[in-house]
Amino acid sequence: MKALFPRNLSGQLALLLALALFAAQAINLALLLRERANFRLAQTTRPAAIRIADALDHAGNRPIRGERSRVRRHEANPIPLGFERMPKVGAELREQLSELGISPRQIDTGIRLRERSPRRHDHRFAGRTSDTLMIAVQLPNGTWLTTNAPWPRRDNRILWALLAQTIIIYVLILLPVLWITRRLSRPLRGLADAARTFTPRKEIPALAVEGPTDVRDVIVAFNGLAQRVTAMLDEKDRMLGAIGHDLRTPLAALRVRIESVEDEQDRARMAETIAEMSRTLDDILSLARLGRPSERITEVDLTALVDAVVEDFRDLGAEVVFEEAERIRLHLRPTLFRRAVRNLIENALKYAGHAEVTIVAEPTQIRVCVADRGPGIPEEALTAVFDPFTRLEVSRSRETGGIGLGLALAQAIVHDAGGTITLSNRSGGGLMAIIALPTSEAPARG
Amino acid sequence: MLDGNLMADTPHLLLVDDERSIREPLAQYLTKQGFRVTQVGDAEAARTRLGAYAIDLVVLDIMMPGEDGLSLCRYIRATSETPVILLTARTEETDRIVGLEMGADDYMVKPFSPRELAARIKVVLRRLQAGGTRQHAPDATAYAFAGWILKTGERTLVDHEGVAVPLSTGEFNLLHALVTRPRQVLTRDQLLDLTQGREAAAFDRAIDNQVSRLRKKIEADVKNPQLIKTVWGGGYTLAAEVTRL
Repeated sequence: MKALFPRNLSGQLALLLALALFAAQAINLALLLRERANFRLAQTTRPAAIRIADALDHAGNRPIRGERSRVRRHEANPIPLGFERMPKVGAELREQLSELGISPRQIDTGIRLRERSPRRHDHRFAGRTSDTLMIAVQLPNGTWLTTNAPWPRRDNRILWALLAQTIIIYVLILLPVLWITRRLSRPLRGLADAARTFTPRKEIPALAVEGPTDVRDVIVAFNGLAQRVTAMLDEKDRMLGAIGHDLRTPLAALRVRIESVEDEQDRARMAETIAEMSRTLDDILSLARLGRPSERITEVDLTALVDAVVEDFRDLGAEVVFEEAERIRLHLRPTLFRRAVRNLIENALKYAGHAEVTIVAEPTQIRVCVADRGPGIPEEALTAVFDPFTRLEVSRSRETGGIGLGLALAQAIVHDAGGTITLSNRSGGGLMAIIALPTSEAPARG
Repeated sequence: MLDGNLMADTPHLLLVDDERSIREPLAQYLTKQGFRVTQVGDAEAARTRLGAYAIDLVVLDIMMPGEDGLSLCRYIRATSETPVILLTARTEETDRIVGLEMGADDYMVKPFSPRELAARIKVVLRRLQAGGTRQHAPDATAYAFAGWILKTGERTLVDHEGVAVPLSTGEFNLLHALVTRPRQVLTRDQLLDLTQGREAAAFDRAIDNQVSRLRKKIEADVKNPQLIKTVWGGGYTLAAEVTRL
């Protein structure tokens, strides 16, 4: 039942209208049928009452000679037991007769069904099918007077007519309603799409303002909202840029000044601290800006990308092993993705002093694995390390540097590329970081 | 007072940075390293000094209030042969590219080691003295050769199908040196000199190693290289037409 209930505006309106129309027409029908029933009752009883009164007036106590449709006299109730009784007619008739000064002892009624093959039609009811209502009135002296009246059958045609009328009204109303709802729902759907895919970037055009004024207002409001969000994010970028600049300048000044420190070891340590602060600053800025990457998605040879990152580490004398793999074409933001791979390798180097990098190509996904034989990470912390600014107290002392932004950044970049990143402890010790990317062409986000 | 001869032998640097906290200690340090340093705080002052002195090299901060470093760099490049080393507060690639396109000879990201700056100044000056091999013409954003496109900004090669093939820093530097000097024979020493000055990363591995890695990426047949050819007597040359894009 729930599945049948339409969810969208036009469906609900159409259904509601159909139900309301149906209810209205049903009430109409009931009223009409009652009216007809009353009319039939009146039509039947009044002439019958008059005929009986006339017969009594004219004939006095004379036996009435029977003519068709006239009043006849019987000694006993002539209506067969099997006929359907009409107590309502009896009650009505008694009332009318009493108005005429006749108070019968008993009134009986019965319907005589018309024969299948109608030979004759009463001209008054030509074209209608009707049965005969037999009315028998027992006078106070015990004799019965009977008279017949036509008893029209219930007419089904009126039901059909009403149904046809309902359908015509429904269609006539539904068409403009559908037109209106379409006019309403099309811009609304556009609005929903725009809101769903909203990524604050400068080049996103404002949504076309269309539809009735109510909807127009909403669209205008949405455009304003989008503009404000974009402006706010621009402001954030500008602010971060300014913060970055303002922090980097004193750092740079400090870096220049420590050249005058005599102690070689001291100076090296200071330089390292400054470099670390600078790296952290870079990471914070990158992470903050990642929601609005400026780099375009391009088709990249992933193997060459990983190879280039590994090569850069090896140029610096780091112990990184990369197993040559086939060429793999993927849609990525190469500079950002380089950074994700670099952060994973950096992590391995930091905690294990070495890294093994492999690429596994499967039909549905590509995995870039960075493995080491370092101390690993406690199972319960395997997901927590992805949270920005998380650092495992046990293994990550201040000297090892970093405030745990590397993995958060890597994860954000991989998510942007439509992939996932997981950490697991290797059997035999060490950590395995896996970037899994879907092989399907261009990722959803562009 | 220094006598005239000593003055001529001491390279004269013009240090342009609006940050006094960086400029002053840096000038001090560079002076200690044997340079003659004139320091100014804005582009306006730099222009007058450039006219007044025979400046050997300009160390220029990009981010300055008023006229910025890039615009000054463009001016210097348009009016003289004086080499420029840019100082940038941003690590973004775009700064680097724009800087090199403006014709800067090198760039350093803040915070930088003054030692390394001094070393790079010396490299640029030595190149200049050696003559010819100086990175003089403004860098292009991309070079096309033999069906490949080398994008300088992304440090990436793009093949004929449009697939990006990222390069390591070493590979990029080597290939960049080759494509900017097509059909020139470059000795290992020259290549080492050309590739070292441009990046902070230490670059100890032999040129030969980088060449063989590059060949694997761009040659159709590694055993019979047609693009990066070995020249008998020690050296390499790029045997292809290069178009600046």
